[in-house]
Amino acid sequence: MTLNINGDLFLKMLESGANNLSNKHHEINALNVFPVPDGDTGTNMNLTFTNGLSEARKIVSSNIGDVSKTLSRGLLMGARGNSGVILSQIFRGFAQSVESLKEADLKAIANAFQNGKTVAYKAVMRPVEGTILTVLRESAQAAYDWTLLNQSATLEEYFEVLLAEANKSLEHTPELLPVLKEVGVVDSGGAGYVAVIEGFLSALKGEIIEAHEVSEDLASAGANMESDEFGYCTEFIVQLDPNASRYDEQTFRSELESLGNSIVVVTDEDLVKVHVHTLKPGNALNLGQRYGEFLKLKIENMTEQHHTIMESDVPHATKPVAKEHSKYAIVSVAAGDGIVELFNELRAEYIISGGQTMNPSTEDFIEMINTIDADHIIVLPNNSNIIMAAKQAQDLLEDKDIRVLETKSIPQGLAACVMFNPEVDIDENIQEMVEAIQHTKTGQVTYAIKDTVFDSIEIKANDFMGILEKDIVVSGQDKQEITKRLIDQLIDDDSALVTLLAGEDTTEDQLNDLVAYIESTFDVEVEAHFGDQPVYAYIIGVE
Amino acid sequence: MSIEKQNEFGSINITNEAIAMLAGGVVTECYGVVGMASQKFFKDGFAELLKGENYSKGVEVIGSDEGFELNLYLVLSYNVKISEVVLEVQKKVKYMLEKTLQINLKSVNVFVQGIKVVK
Repeated sequence: MTLNINGDLFLKMLESGANNLSNKHHEINALNVFPVPDGDTGTNMNLTFTNGLSEARKIVSSNIGDVSKTLSRGLLMGARGNSGVILSQIFRGFAQSVESLKEADLKAIANAFQNGKTVAYKAVMRPVEGTILTVLRESAQAAYDWTLLNQSATLEEYFEVLLAEANKSLEHTPELLPVLKEVGVVDSGGAGYVAVIEGFLSALKGEIIEAHEVSEDLASAGANMESDEFGYCTEFIVQLDPNASRYDEQTFRSELESLGNSIVVVTDEDLVKVHVHTLKPGNALNLGQRYGEFLKLKIENMTEQHHTIMESDVPHATKPVAKEHSKYAIVSVAAGDGIVELFNELRAEYIISGGQTMNPSTEDFIEMINTIDADHIIVLPNNSNIIMAAKQAQDLLEDKDIRVLETKSIPQGLAACVMFNPEVDIDENIQEMVEAIQHTKTGQVTYAIKDTVFDSIEIKANDFMGILEKDIVVSGQDKQEITKRLIDQLIDDDSALVTLLAGEDTTEDQLNDLVAYIESTFDVEVEAHFGDQPVYAYIIGVE
Repeated sequence: MSIEKQNEFGSINITNEAIAMLAGGVVTECYGVVGMASQKFFKDGFAELLKGENYSKGVEVIGSDEGFELNLYLVLSYNVKISEVVLEVQKKVKYMLEKTLQINLKSVNVFVQGIKVVK
């Protein structure tokens, strides 16, 4: 039963909220169709919130006012995307409301969410309903009204109401925003907000949600760490002052124990030497200073040291080291060992790992291109969401001849590579490659993560979907059957070559089954490979 | 300059004014944008907040053979991350206009003319 939230508890709630958001961010990405269907809401919110949390962790105070103020600043500085900016505004309003408080009670929390709503709404001229703003507004208002009737309720009860209302509002978003209804999803930003609130409630109940996986950014890797493992190694020596508070080693030690671990306290007449590992070294210093003046201080950030170690372990784009100067270099984005190998065989030696739900950034491109010494660099993004990042890299690296070919799929990228001829000049190459791209149709088979309706095709969670270019054309439970029906639509009289790339979960028998089907049904050549790509059971190229 | 298109039923002509209105409408829905300012900011010396039907004053449409270029003159909210808000505006305007008008936007340039503290 919680009646007050102080800074320490709030921090735990934030941690739990951040972990929950991080665990669900792929799911949230998949919902993202508004305002622009680019599938990055979850990632943006996750990065924003993680940044806010790591700022909030730095504050040495157990006042909720101080913690939320640093959180708000961290969110503002780290805001990514629309939803990130909105998130920063919500907690800016929240922070304003609890600014002067040490602890927030039911009334203060209900007010803080109300103010979060007010502030978030101020930053837009014409709010679109059916978005995170709606979810925020409706849930904050309903929970606030509820507190007026239940003034002696606990905070657990408040957050339960808030979460239930937020969920209710989220479920209603497709009714308010036609584009959501059309695709059959709820609002992605709203879903992210619900994930945060869910994390808050869980922490209040004493169950901090753990992060499932080490996600792509190290900041949230930090969130996984047990607080007693890392933090600041803090050492100081205090010269005891007889006029200050009465010193008692036992009391002092137990006070320090509440802050951290690895505690060593040595008392020698009027000197006390202290060693402690804590997330809040400032609090430890405050404790010590009550007894006198510091003779010596040393604080080291162990988390940072750990990050540095981890960072050197993180695999990144596979970089061939210091290649010699060449006329051409092809940079390709790909995921899956088999696909990477195929690209390598087709002279695309520079691979940036990525693809659907794992989009490389402009920086990744720049980093890769900077290692290349070639007259002409051809970039194949292989996904429509990545083309922009590649083009930005092209703009930023003006001194190099970079050509970004707008390949929207792996088969298009492979087709382009096939046409590449190192003997002819760049313009001729580009022309041939672009032509190959235009003549390549792409089909992809993957599974649905939730129930949805697309163009009157009903899709259930875990069903397989056949996607032709950008449209879902078939769905059902049998992977092989769906793939065959997709192939029927892909192949027409002009088709001559079919390339099949089997995903990491696909067996050899299944692949052979498809090859046999195509060969017996159509008059085309079939090339089959194990692409080992994640997410897509099959990627099919038809030329 | 306006968009001219031909189809089997006849021709379509979309004026710059219409494009500007459309862009203005999209912009005002973008999070972090609290107003549109007259593009004559430098001449007038202050950012005038435009109302409703005058949104088009804050939008400049430049057409060329390679595609259209939009200049947007905006007032943003105080204490939002400007770079992100502007990026989202660019993304949304480009997406919406290309979808509704079937034209290619070569670039969407945003000029932040002022920051407004919203009381």
